[in-house]
Amino acid sequence: MLLFIAILDTFKLLLKTLSTNSGFWNPLVWCSVIVIAFLIVYSIRSFGNKEYKKDNEQVKTFLSGNPEYEKEQMHVKSSNVYWGFTETLKWVYNLLNKMHTGNVSDYVLWFVVTMAIFFILIGVMI
Amino acid sequence: MEQYIIDLLTTGAIVLFGTIGLALFGIFFGLLYKGVDRKLSAHMQGRIGPPIRQPFRDVSKLFVKENIIPENAIPWIFNLAPLAGLIATISILLYIPIGGFEPLLSSKGDLILILYLLIIPSLAMVTGGFSSGSPYATVGAQREMVTMIAYEFPLAIIIIAIAWKLSINLQNTNVFALSTITATPIWNFVGPLGFLGCLVLLFVLVVVTPAELSKIPFDSPEAETELAGGLLAEYSGRNLAMFYLTDGVKTVVMASIIVALFFPFNIWRMIGLDALPAISLEAIPIYTAEIIFFLIKVLLVILFSLTLIRVSVARLKIDQIVYTYWVPLTLLALVGLICIMWDGWTMEGHIINIFGFKIQWSAWPSMFKLLGIP
Repeated sequence: MLLFIAILDTFKLLLKTLSTNSGFWNPLVWCSVIVIAFLIVYSIRSFGNKEYKKDNEQVKTFLSGNPEYEKEQMHVKSSNVYWGFTETLKWVYNLLNKMHTGNVSDYVLWFVVTMAIFFILIGVMI
Repeated sequence: MEQYIIDLLTTGAIVLFGTIGLALFGIFFGLLYKGVDRKLSAHMQGRIGPPIRQPFRDVSKLFVKENIIPENAIPWIFNLAPLAGLIATISILLYIPIGGFEPLLSSKGDLILILYLLIIPSLAMVTGGFSSGSPYATVGAQREMVTMIAYEFPLAIIIIAIAWKLSINLQNTNVFALSTITATPIWNFVGPLGFLGCLVLLFVLVVVTPAELSKIPFDSPEAETELAGGLLAEYSGRNLAMFYLTDGVKTVVMASIIVALFFPFNIWRMIGLDALPAISLEAIPIYTAEIIFFLIKVLLVILFSLTLIRVSVARLKIDQIVYTYWVPLTLLALVGLICIMWDGWTMEGHIINIFGFKIQWSAWPSMFKLLGIP
């Protein structure tokens, strides 16, 4: 009986909905939903054909007829992963690049100016 | 302790039967709405279009096709990604009000959780794309990541604005709970300025929806004409069918979220009932009407946020997508937020000093009262 109560108390603790003042969620209930959804989706998927011919051209990567290069040459580099983002905001990056002089006295100046603005803002708000 | 065991069993039953029921609901109506969307868009372009049941045929055809795994792919990630996307999407259905009723797990997760869960299907597609070993899929996955970064900002502003407005009017209530948001439509608490702000936020959310679903004009991650399907280029057979189903279910999810945030009106409230009647034979017509009303609202949201947009606008480039969301739409969302914020002040009876004229705006009633709607 004591063991049963201990197990039940553990479950109570695990099933507790985590809550802050402005948000809440229950991880264990979500995990249960995920497990059941996995079983449903997996069983639906199992209706599909799992076979395919491995010894012909269809397993090769589709490249619109272009020649296939070495894998290292075909991968998108990590520096290009956020290309669309950096392209759109390049005016910001250009501005920041100009500000990034490498001169310590410039950085100290920026620090002093920023602090002055913050102090003025805080002074006005208070 | 008995009460606790009863609660535990009740939650277990809700999770088990709710997940099964809502998974079937989401898949069926996701495919049905996909068919309606295709038919409507075809008519708008002067074509006959495929029959409404075409998406069901597509899925059954995909199940028969070979499930090819490219030799460059990482097989276990390649196979797991489509499953993860669909599973996460189905799990969201339990946290949003479906059929005009309270969410099944309304006390177990809030709107912030839904925002996080909405990211998983997109991340699953990104992971699947990167694991394909195809340059097209890699570029598509890269674009999907950038698109996600782009639309999350205005989406977050919308959620914060609504929650902030409700928190002003509803003290000691969790304003991020969807049960609270649907029980107290935001339109009830706004004056003319707030009404305008809500319309602006609704517009922004309608424009965010096609990007969430990778639809034109924000479908550059797939871009059939330039990337041959992008992150789905190497997928086929049942794996592609899983992504197809995910797209259908996510369409229902996104439309249901818009309905919950901006159109949570119920038949039983309109006919003057104080609460939804308990389940009985007499209550069946009300329940049926409620579900039909919800399905019509979802259809209208899909029509305006997906179909109309994708037949009238061309695809944007990825840098144009980021610009659209980070500049005009973020600014619009902030304008909506400011309108609601100022409206919040005016509704509270604050005195505003404009060029020396002190004006008390407390006389502004709710927009609904102005229009004579009870």
